Amino acid sequence: MSIIKTKNLVKVYSTGLMEVRAVDNVNLTIEQGEFTAIVGPSGSGKTTLLNMIGGLDRPTSGEIIVDSMDITQLSQKQLVDFRLKNIGFVFQSYNLIPVLTATENVSFIMELQGREKREIDARTKEILSDVGLADRLMSRPAQLSGGQQQRVAVARAMASRPQFIIADEPTANLDSKTAEKLLDMMTEINKKENITFLFSTHDSRVVSKARRVIVLEDGKIVSDERK
Amino acid sequence: MLIKLAWKNIWRNKVRSGVILSAIAIGLFAGTYLAAFMEGWIIGTVKESIDTDIACIQIHSPKFLANYDVREYLQGFPDVAEMPDETTISGRIVLAGMLQSANNALGITAKGVIPEQEKTVSAVWKTIPDSMGVYLPDDIKMPIVISKKTAGKLKVHLKSKIVFTFQNANEEMQSVAFRVCGIYKTSNSMFDENAVFVKYDDIFPLTALPENAIHEVAVNFPDLKTCDWVYPKIKAALPGLEVLSWKEINPTLSLSLGATEFFGAIIIGIFLLALSFGIVNTMLMAILERTKELGMLKAIGMSKNKIFRMIMFETVFLTFLGSVAGIILATIVLTPSLKTGIDLTFMMGDTFEDYGFSAIVYPVINLKMFVEIAVLVIFAGILSAIYPARRALKINTIEAIKTE
Ligand SMILES: Nc1ncnc2c1ncn2[C@@H]1O[C@H](COP(=O)(O)OP(=O)(O)OP(=O)(O)O)[C@@H](O)[C@H]1O
Ligand SMILES: [Mg+2]
Repeated sequence: MSIIKTKNLVKVYSTGLMEVRAVDNVNLTIEQGEFTAIVGPSGSGKTTLLNMIGGLDRPTSGEIIVDSMDITQLSQKQLVDFRLKNIGFVFQSYNLIPVLTATENVSFIMELQGREKREIDARTKEILSDVGLADRLMSRPAQLSGGQQQRVAVARAMASRPQFIIADEPTANLDSKTAEKLLDMMTEINKKENITFLFSTHDSRVVSKARRVIVLEDGKIVSDERK
Repeated sequence: MLIKLAWKNIWRNKVRSGVILSAIAIGLFAGTYLAAFMEGWIIGTVKESIDTDIACIQIHSPKFLANYDVREYLQGFPDVAEMPDETTISGRIVLAGMLQSANNALGITAKGVIPEQEKTVSAVWKTIPDSMGVYLPDDIKMPIVISKKTAGKLKVHLKSKIVFTFQNANEEMQSVAFRVCGIYKTSNSMFDENAVFVKYDDIFPLTALPENAIHEVAVNFPDLKTCDWVYPKIKAALPGLEVLSWKEINPTLSLSLGATEFFGAIIIGIFLLALSFGIVNTMLMAILERTKELGMLKAIGMSKNKIFRMIMFETVFLTFLGSVAGIILATIVLTPSLKTGIDLTFMMGDTFEDYGFSAIVYPVINLKMFVEIAVLVIFAGILSAIYPARRALKINTIEAIKTE
């Protein structure tokens, strides 16, 4: 069953006289439970594509169907709510609220969703131990390493039980060993909870962990391989 | 949850929050202190003036005050029912005339009073120091109480003889010798320059007035507020007479009460304005610093409404904490001086007293005023939070989460 479907997706940036087709007629289908990497040179449109699929940016034209609904038709307000309920986000940095502990950062998103306290507490504990941070529940982001912070971010992204998780260069700030470990952990979660992951990366060792690799160039898909 | 997060957010930058907190606290403290001080000062001055000089209410024949005509008298106390129990009343003969010593002569107003009555209405007798005699005693013949000022001008002392000259009801000049039995000093030097006191029974026979005649009835209450509701009743009960409240007798006094409130309001207004700029600035900085984080929060699905509320909570916490601290500070500093008062003579000597203000101020903590100021501060805080909070909503999510 497809979870994301883009139809003739185009994003054009016009700066003065120049026109940049950051995403150029992308037709893409992501199935439930897929673990997909988007790669491509700098400026190829990875971030632009992920932002549009994540409901953060609007396309110039085309459709993005999530769960049989075209999210390009949603209002700004509806989009916020849509993101909260359907999408988990992991960013390259500034993922966490610095004044909250790991536990609170993970609980926070579920509290935003209005879930029950008991459910929140149980799930927070479970997920944080899934990502290997059972012993750092009460640590603030500043007390955690970069890799640990990204693990909390992944935990936060999963906590809301989203349809899929979008991660734009989640490992860009990590050394390659830590990056690999993070990916291993993501792979495990992907298997355990059957959560769909869509992430971009520059790191070839990270790419090798993906089961599907989509290559972008100048905003166009030039290759799409499943392993 | 938003509340908890907002609370934690304000402690993020302890120095900056501390500075704005202290600014609010100190401003509020200064504001309430000043207000309490001014209110105390003015109320003290007013009360003192009323208790020594004018009394809460005066009743005269309608034409008497125009030129102190001896013939404009009242026949005994007018009948007024329904006075509160604590009311004190004194009837006086009031004679404008001249007071003469061997050295000098002065125009003054002599009040012929029944000492026991008069003492309940006017505190002049209390202002006679022990070394300066007593108030109209029985063991001195033809006693007169004059002020220290008058004594100085006439160059007389206790037991000196002075002569009072006035015109009686038959338009005959009367001169009568009195002996100084007491020298008083109130904090109102204009009053002191003008008023001397003699016994009703000593002066009455010379006035050629009918039995029981008086010129002035002074009515007083321990609590100034009683006047506000008793006065209209008395006025209504005595349509043929001139019934004046202290506000009419001395408009300057009641004006200065109003003026204090007005200046208090201006000072508080300026404080609130400065405060608002401080809050706007602090919150704008706090938001600018957190652009990435706020962008992230919007991205993961925190609604504008919730972000707005979070920033508002932060502001309200700051102003609320500051207000509470300020009020506690003011209470701590003011409480000891509520009873003992603050003596102003160290600052300007007797200058205040020369203008009829009392030199010892008993600050008045007006709970209503406290609450009003605190509410205003929090209100100003909320108002000045709106702009920064709106700025937070305008943060461009995509720009914010972009990492260069
Ligand atoms: N706000 C913008 N205004 C104008 N042009 C933009 C804007 N954002 C992106 N672009 C352009 O769109 C193209 C795609 O950018 P995008 O950030 O999606 O690339 P990317 O694949 O994520 O690159 P990187 O690997 O460096 O992150 C680039 O040519 C970029 O210059
Ligand atoms: Mg990018």
